[in-house]
Amino acid sequence: MSATAPRVLVVDDEPQIVRGLKILLRSAGYTVEAAETKAEALVELVSRPPDALVLDLVLPDGRGVEICEEVRRWSRLPILVLSAVGDEREKVRALDAGADDYVTKPFGTDELLARLRALLRRSVDVGGSPLLNIGELVIDLSDRLVTRDGKPVHLTPIEFDLLRVLAQHQGRLVTHRQLLREVWGPEYGDETHYLRVHVAHIRAKLEPDPSRPRYLITEPGVGYRLRDPAA
Amino acid sequence: MKDWRDLLGALGLHPGRMRTVREARPLDRASLRAGAAAEILIAVGLATALVAVLQSTSSDDAGLGSLYLLAVLFIAIRRGQLAALVTAVLGVLALNFFFIAPRHRLAIAHSQDLIELIVLLIAAVVVGRLAAVARERAAEAESRAHIAAAREREAKLVAEVASAILAGESIGAQLESIGSRVAVATSAGHARVALASVPSAAPDEITVPLHARSGNAWLYLSGDVAWDQGALERVAESLGRLIDVAVERDRVSERAAETEASRRAEVAKTAILHAISHDLRSPLTAITTAGSALAIGAVTDAERAELIEVIESESARLAKLVDDLLDLSRIESGAVAPQADWCDLHDVVASAAAHASGEHPIEFDLPGDLPFVRADAAQLERVFSNLIENAVKFSPPGAPVRISGGSSSGRVAVRVADRGTGIPRRYRSHVFEPFFRGRGQAGAGSGLGLAICRGFVEANGGRIVLQTGRDTGTSFTVSFPVARQPADADEAVTVRG
Repeated sequence: MSATAPRVLVVDDEPQIVRGLKILLRSAGYTVEAAETKAEALVELVSRPPDALVLDLVLPDGRGVEICEEVRRWSRLPILVLSAVGDEREKVRALDAGADDYVTKPFGTDELLARLRALLRRSVDVGGSPLLNIGELVIDLSDRLVTRDGKPVHLTPIEFDLLRVLAQHQGRLVTHRQLLREVWGPEYGDETHYLRVHVAHIRAKLEPDPSRPRYLITEPGVGYRLRDPAA
Repeated sequence: MKDWRDLLGALGLHPGRMRTVREARPLDRASLRAGAAAEILIAVGLATALVAVLQSTSSDDAGLGSLYLLAVLFIAIRRGQLAALVTAVLGVLALNFFFIAPRHRLAIAHSQDLIELIVLLIAAVVVGRLAAVARERAAEAESRAHIAAAREREAKLVAEVASAILAGESIGAQLESIGSRVAVATSAGHARVALASVPSAAPDEITVPLHARSGNAWLYLSGDVAWDQGALERVAESLGRLIDVAVERDRVSERAAETEASRRAEVAKTAILHAISHDLRSPLTAITTAGSALAIGAVTDAERAELIEVIESESARLAKLVDDLLDLSRIESGAVAPQADWCDLHDVVASAAAHASGEHPIEFDLPGDLPFVRADAAQLERVFSNLIENAVKFSPPGAPVRISGGSSSGRVAVRVADRGTGIPRRYRSHVFEPFFRGRGQAGAGSGLGLAICRGFVEANGGRIVLQTGRDTGTSFTVSFPVARQPADADEAVTVRG
């Protein structure tokens, strides 16, 4: 985290939620701005780009998805979506449009703050080492080797690529579509059954108990997340 | 075939008439036989008389015996082969007796007369046989034509019923029209079709079972039915099948309608659940967020006060929403149970306005002599406070909400009107539906207020009507029938107090 407090823009049309969030985020060390409409949000994003965006999906003058699409034309700014049960499709659309993660209303504030931290950490780490450490896992991107607790794990090339993409987004949600496109190619996007099969194989090789995964977490209907069990 | 008919027609013996004669007395064999005998005697007698007359006026009597052939022919056509044979024999005997020597005895003096008699007898038998065959064929043809015509009538009836059934009305609606079609076709005085497990004919009706597979069906006929039992049974068979088709179609379309209805209900339910979950979640999120911020502790006093205010106002909002949802579910399950008593609408409206209008100006224009209504005062107050809140929400700043009223034609009415922008036409039929938010999203409520208003008004025996126009604003008029007013003023005063 940089020396100055990271600036977060909160976009939500419920003023009472915004009031609570502002104080919460401020006391967690962020500088907070707020916008209640899509138009206000876009003005704010262009005139004073924040370090992260917390975005409600339903706005009085448009959809959160539209803001995601707009922002992704010029910025890799981390976007955390505030979603609701029943908004699943809209949530997946936002994630496919470039949002980085989501929390579901009413969210636990610990969860919200953890997700936000993960997003900001990623945007700080750029480039770096070819060795990724996730708990007991070490993934060597240059030699395409994986070890767990020092013991080598044999993965097929597809399995390795899947794990690599997830590891590069460590702690964050990667949607089905994103995974399919990065591993299989841009013409793929709907073949989620490929993922289910390969993820099961990876879990069988990596997880201490594949039926209760600790590293490779399913986000039902949305995608997967590779996380450090200790984090 | 045509020749036979022409021949018979020329003799005045149309086959149709023969059938009529035969059928007129179908079972009376004795009288039939007596009639035949009489005709034979008359025919032979006439032939004998004719021969006698011709013999007396002509010197040459050769061949006169052949006149008996006419009698044989006549009887063959009228009565068939056996009668023709009897006529031939009688004719030969008469010729022998009256005209062949020795006369007045059944004896033959000259062998050539014997030959003449034998030739005559053979000729008579042959003529009789031929005529009888012609007669049978004509009768057969007639009966075939008759059957064909009957079948055609039956087919026409079945076709009519089929096209009526295929045209689409439900079987229930079709039964009467099937009955009247059958009545017309069979010349019955009255005919009806009923679906029932057992027949229930009126005393003057005959019952024909329609063998429908979908359940028992019966055709009842009264009056003079022109069709015979066989025809009725044949038609009944086809009608039964058609009723099966109609019943099956009813079932299929009923099922389709049910599926569609349940699909729509499902969609509506999902939308409502979505709306409820969204409406519940927003205040919950605000409360939990504010609570977590308080728990972190690193907040200023001003921030703490703000967070507490958020928690309080959102809790109130949540409580209101839960109340509204409970009211709505009571309304929808018919469990409103109003505590009806005499209500003074002045009091109800004033109390609602005090509760709902805040700082917004209200114009009261309620006549002093507004009749009392019998209703649940608390529920009416909810109704008017919802209406006034709505009106305030959609009024331009400073434009007063107007509450007027009056009684006419047996109803007492109170109207709450705003000077807002009105409700677009496409939304007007939906404003009383739960969770409908027509007039913009920002600042809109839960979408339950008007649904609850209508529920309470109707549960109390009243009506609520929307009037709106583009420039005239929106008004809701709540009206109740004027009940017989409380007998003494004290009672009303007590209630007012």
